[in-house]
Amino acid sequence: MKKGTRKGLSEGSLAWLLVIPALLLILVIAIFPVFRSFWLSLHDVRLNDATKRTTHSHYGVDLEGYANSMPFLLSALDQEIKKAEGATQKRLTQVKAKVENVRSTLEKDSRVRKNFQRVDELLFEGKAVPENLRLVNIEEKKARISESQISQIRADLKAMEQEGVLNHPKRVTGLAKGLQECLIEPNFVGLKYYRIYLTDERMWASLTNTLVFTGISVGVELVLGIAIALLINRQFVGRGLVRASVLIPWALPTAVAALMWKFLFDGQNGVMAKIFAEIGLIPNMGTLLTTKFWSMFAVIFADVWKTTPFMALLILAGLQTIPKSLYEAAEVDGASRIQQFFKITLPMLRTTILVALLFRILDAFRVFDLIYVLTGGGPANATETISVYAYKTMFAQMNFGAGSALAVIVFICIAIISMLFVKLLGRDLISDGSGK
Amino acid sequence: MRKNAGFWFYLFLAAFLLVMLFPFIWQVLTSLKPSGELFGEHAFRPIPDHPTVENYVKVFTQRPFATYLWNSTWVAIVTTAYCVFVAAIAAYAIARLKFKGKTIILGITLAVSMFPQIATISPIFMFMEKMGLTNSYTGLIIPYTTFALPLALWNLTNFFRKIPFELEEAAKMDGATTWQALWRVIFPLAVPGTFTTAILVFIAAWNEFFFALTLNTEESMKTVPVGIALFQGRFSIPWAEISAASVIVTIPLVLMVLLFQRRIVAGLTTGAVKE
Repeated sequence: MKKGTRKGLSEGSLAWLLVIPALLLILVIAIFPVFRSFWLSLHDVRLNDATKRTTHSHYGVDLEGYANSMPFLLSALDQEIKKAEGATQKRLTQVKAKVENVRSTLEKDSRVRKNFQRVDELLFEGKAVPENLRLVNIEEKKARISESQISQIRADLKAMEQEGVLNHPKRVTGLAKGLQECLIEPNFVGLKYYRIYLTDERMWASLTNTLVFTGISVGVELVLGIAIALLINRQFVGRGLVRASVLIPWALPTAVAALMWKFLFDGQNGVMAKIFAEIGLIPNMGTLLTTKFWSMFAVIFADVWKTTPFMALLILAGLQTIPKSLYEAAEVDGASRIQQFFKITLPMLRTTILVALLFRILDAFRVFDLIYVLTGGGPANATETISVYAYKTMFAQMNFGAGSALAVIVFICIAIISMLFVKLLGRDLISDGSGK
Repeated sequence: MRKNAGFWFYLFLAAFLLVMLFPFIWQVLTSLKPSGELFGEHAFRPIPDHPTVENYVKVFTQRPFATYLWNSTWVAIVTTAYCVFVAAIAAYAIARLKFKGKTIILGITLAVSMFPQIATISPIFMFMEKMGLTNSYTGLIIPYTTFALPLALWNLTNFFRKIPFELEEAAKMDGATTWQALWRVIFPLAVPGTFTTAILVFIAAWNEFFFALTLNTEESMKTVPVGIALFQGRFSIPWAEISAASVIVTIPLVLMVLLFQRRIVAGLTTGAVKE
């Protein structure tokens, strides 16, 4: 390392100073979330369940929920007691006593009491409750006692609701439910989701779909890409135009391209479906997007259309770096075109092809846009890839714990594929030969 | 490699171009069809009997397509500007300064660019919800960093490496500081590569679907790809309007590709090809 520029900063320190902003951003925005995903996948996190909206390592009370249920439940019970008679009144009084009991158990904790007052004030003023105030940890024993008492209360109220002896049954049962929901349990589940997915048929089916999609589409793209690159690797009129039009499928948003193909493959009005049916490839137009085999075909077809040009461009660039003298020498030695291709072109293209394959395989393996828009994973999950499955688990079922586990599985697969390629490519991938 | 291109070559080329551009051509033709010509036998006739621009008008008058366009443009521009800026500074150091650990940094960059988006979405989504950043521009620009920054860093490093070393050395010999060498000598030479990188990052951000789909669900905050993909019709999928909207999105991309094709190809192939 060379010491001392005029600013008195060594070159090494200056370099780190310049690199740090980018590095920090990458660490915080890209790398940290992956670890966090893994952490989430060890928890029962569900965004549609108030008690499981995030990871909890302790028992606790959600004071916002508590403030919205406890006082109202007590007053609602008072009203019911007033209007009830005889046996019902007695039963209601007992229920109320149990609720009071829960309240004193919980509010015996000074932190619960203090924070509850603050939360109540904030809610009264219509302000948002900050997270650190909203959640208070409580002892496991208290939490378990309260939990069983509230369950008892809910059962009592439910029974009375069914007997039809309550004035506003929905109100009291609803509030009791709200009260139960503000009790928070630790939701660490360990590797439960991974164990479940290991034997989950849908997971294996989606993994198989992903592999089939990746293998076939990248394979076809590679062969077509090499063929096209070999054919256009020469001087001809309109080279620039061809190159520009080759870039159009690449530049189009995948979602838009997928929509385009959805229309072309449409069972009633799709012109490609019509052409396929006319030439006898498929029995009738509807087959394309409604049967397992043909919907996978449709998805792969669309992907090949979109990414072959990119492959061809990469390989063309690689072809142009092969010295002509090699072919001239081969010609002198009497090697045939085919021999030249296998003995010169392919070996010289090795790195280019491996890099292109790496990027394409990883892209294909995490495919989401194309399938989400074109088939939505259907019919009957026939084209559902693992990313799509993970998305549905998270955003349709709101099950973020399980969805994160699937996402981590995608990540691990990608890491394995990358490592295989890095082994094959060695340092070629990063070093640039400039000797630095 | 081979000699001259003959008749068969051009025939093949024409066929190849037709196959490749066919979906797009069909899209343009469909976008010009009035609603009556979208179904039945008419659906398979390439040329509309009564061409119309009503679909283009509808996209803007009956749907918030202009809003989508603006959202996409703004998010893509800000993402590009800030990521290219941060990446350029880092890429300069990696490409031209001597320090330990640059291989690791490049390795990390490359690895991150291969991360599946799905593996980061759950914490990002929960964070944005907690911060109230879903349905906001910031809420998209932050996660867009995950792919834009590595892409920019990787490309810029490769471009900057190609700038001849001697120039900087010469400037320093003449008494320029590192900063002066950067601003006066390297910066002007770095403009083309930076510009190319900016185009690539812009296209990537403009086309992004997954984060936009999950984070910005409100109609007024959707980006173009998501907006079009979720176009709803009353009875059936509004194909003509989707076609019109797709054509509108594709035109700037086609223009960009026509204008900058050399640069884009250079940007795409850099790093993949040894010179």
